Amino acid sequence: MKKGCRYGTHRVLSPAGTLPQPAQRLDNTMEVYDNEVLIDVSTLNVDSASYTQIKQACGKDAEKMKQMILSIVEERGKLQNPVTGSGGMLIGTVKKIGENFPKNKLKVGDKIATLVSLSLTPLKIKAIKKLVPESDQVDVEAEAILFESGLFATLPDDIPEKLALAALDVAGAPAQVDRLVTEGDIVCIIGGGGKSGILCCYQAMQNSGPSGKVIVVEFSKENAKRIADLNLATDIIVADATNVMDVYNKVMEVTGGRGCDVTVNNVNVPSTEMTSILITKGQGHVYFFSMATSFTKAALGAEGVGKDINLIVGNGYAKGHANLTLNIIRESKEIRELFEKLYV
Amino acid sequence: MKKGNKYGIHRVIEPLGVLPQPANKIDNNMDEIYDNEILIDVQTLNIDSASFTQIEEQAGGDKEKIAQIMLDIVAKQGKHRNPVTGSGGMLLGTVEKIGDALKGKTDLKVGDKIATLVSLSLTPLRIDKIKEIRPDIDQVDINGKAILFESGIYAKIPKDMPETLALSALDVAGAPAQTAKLVKPGDTVLIIGAGGKSGMLCCYEAKKRAGVTGTVIGLCHSEKSTKRLQELNLCDYVFAADATQPVPILEKLEEITKGQLCDVTINNVNITDTEMISILATKDNGIVYFFSMATSFTKAALGAEGVGKDVNMIVGNGYTKGHAEITLQILRESEVLRKVFTELYA
Repeated sequence: MKKGCRYGTHRVLSPAGTLPQPAQRLDNTMEVYDNEVLIDVSTLNVDSASYTQIKQACGKDAEKMKQMILSIVEERGKLQNPVTGSGGMLIGTVKKIGENFPKNKLKVGDKIATLVSLSLTPLKIKAIKKLVPESDQVDVEAEAILFESGLFATLPDDIPEKLALAALDVAGAPAQVDRLVTEGDIVCIIGGGGKSGILCCYQAMQNSGPSGKVIVVEFSKENAKRIADLNLATDIIVADATNVMDVYNKVMEVTGGRGCDVTVNNVNVPSTEMTSILITKGQGHVYFFSMATSFTKAALGAEGVGKDINLIVGNGYAKGHANLTLNIIRESKEIRELFEKLYV
Repeated sequence: MKKGNKYGIHRVIEPLGVLPQPANKIDNNMDEIYDNEILIDVQTLNIDSASFTQIEEQAGGDKEKIAQIMLDIVAKQGKHRNPVTGSGGMLLGTVEKIGDALKGKTDLKVGDKIATLVSLSLTPLRIDKIKEIRPDIDQVDINGKAILFESGIYAKIPKDMPETLALSALDVAGAPAQTAKLVKPGDTVLIIGAGGKSGMLCCYEAKKRAGVTGTVIGLCHSEKSTKRLQELNLCDYVFAADATQPVPILEKLEEITKGQLCDVTINNVNITDTEMISILATKDNGIVYFFSMATSFTKAALGAEGVGKDVNMIVGNGYTKGHAEITLQILRESEVLRKVFTELYA
């Protein structure tokens, strides 16, 4: 077996010297290097931004969408949407393990979900078996490679595969909330009604306890009602998160002028950085999980209003994140039912 | 006196509902101030370097034209926010008037010389006359007035160093102050872009905090800055490399740190595509501090996930409590740095 690099740089065809994610083209020959795992892929969970773009470009035509996905993989050796830059994840069965892949982590036949992005995963699709434009889960006959540094979760027996996949897709967010929020904290979740928002709310309620507060800022009335019905927040504010002063005034009212210890931003629209910064108290934390975050708006914004707060870039990975997220699905019957209804 | 809002929203003319920074036009009438504002008699504008470079290019290096462009920006917006780069800068001036609501609350008094540490991109400004332009150091002397909001941060100019020297260091005060907070004794610290203005200050502060049991590694780009940093003797290791090419740097760092990698990585480099090396250089549970404005949020977020690194990535906040004091103190403590700063930036 050929010796591979921990980060998969041996698969980069162009441009040389980069890592697999920024690379234009990967080698998707399905012959494993000594530190790789070969996966028999059953389903691709395409990133929602990417899937939406593909859907729009193809006018919601399933056949055209299949063609587009096939041609992206043909061209790049991975399913990285050239417009959005994003990927997604996959589920499949372990087919072969390189002799130098870390021992005792996997065995042939294990069902796994990869938690690294498809934007860096060597992939070869033989056929697309099922594609419904409304669902971003695409059933395929395909093979993929997991690098030594690649993250994965072994799929549990007690949760249906597709439900697990939907939850694992946003596993980073609740795991980071678990680290940041301690008892008695005032927490604000902006965009609390979406998939990752709901998981964050649940974890924040657990960690902040009876003496804490979990405030949800949500744009849609429907989502707000859902949070209220599920009892996932102590206070709910229906507002447009880009309207800084409106949200600021409402949060100050709820917190008696104190502001929040931890603010989690899950909103996928631009220009909500300032709102997140203003509602957070000095020495507090703002955790940006939204991919719509602008680095400069956050950095200059905090300086502009003289706020000494910790601005954190959402890392999709935190140790133990998959287990924590699957446990939420196990613990909360309501969230499980909701996710089954909405995302599977 | 009229009552003002802490963040200066009362000065926003359009669009309504936004803060002064994103606003297109703010009220720069200085005849009357609000009760929580401070009126400053401005002496020097220190234009943000990206902004000044753009203006200089647009003017073809002609000083008259530079002056005209600056006057137009302020006439249109009521502040000096470059319409192309979006950035501002800072200013030096003397306190002329203090709003009633701030009396007794602020440590400033009329006649104090201060530098504002909030961006010019949100500071109400009126320019009466442009007196002198110094293109080498992006400074412009003017007659004019400016407003500091209640939430605005500032530093009193110390008496023991030249004003221009203090101003050049305060411009990047955030980085060394955050370094002081993040680095603990015994830490291994990597500074990317170590040879630049904020990089050198960070190296000094990192070594001070990491102590004799710690290791500070400075990564530079040009030969000139590498040599300069080596001569300053602030770091344990200094080497030159292209920060956009992560693999060779990673190999070198693994050798230096015996495979342990870094506890804290500070990125000061103003070019794109250096997120990956910052992430790869840092050990699990370590901290990556992005001070560079060229950082891409998505490249950082997806990059860490892509390589399975559990690192804390922090957006460089230009402000942290005590940042001006920490930064000025470096110039007092380090004679060699003071000399280099005087030569290069003052």
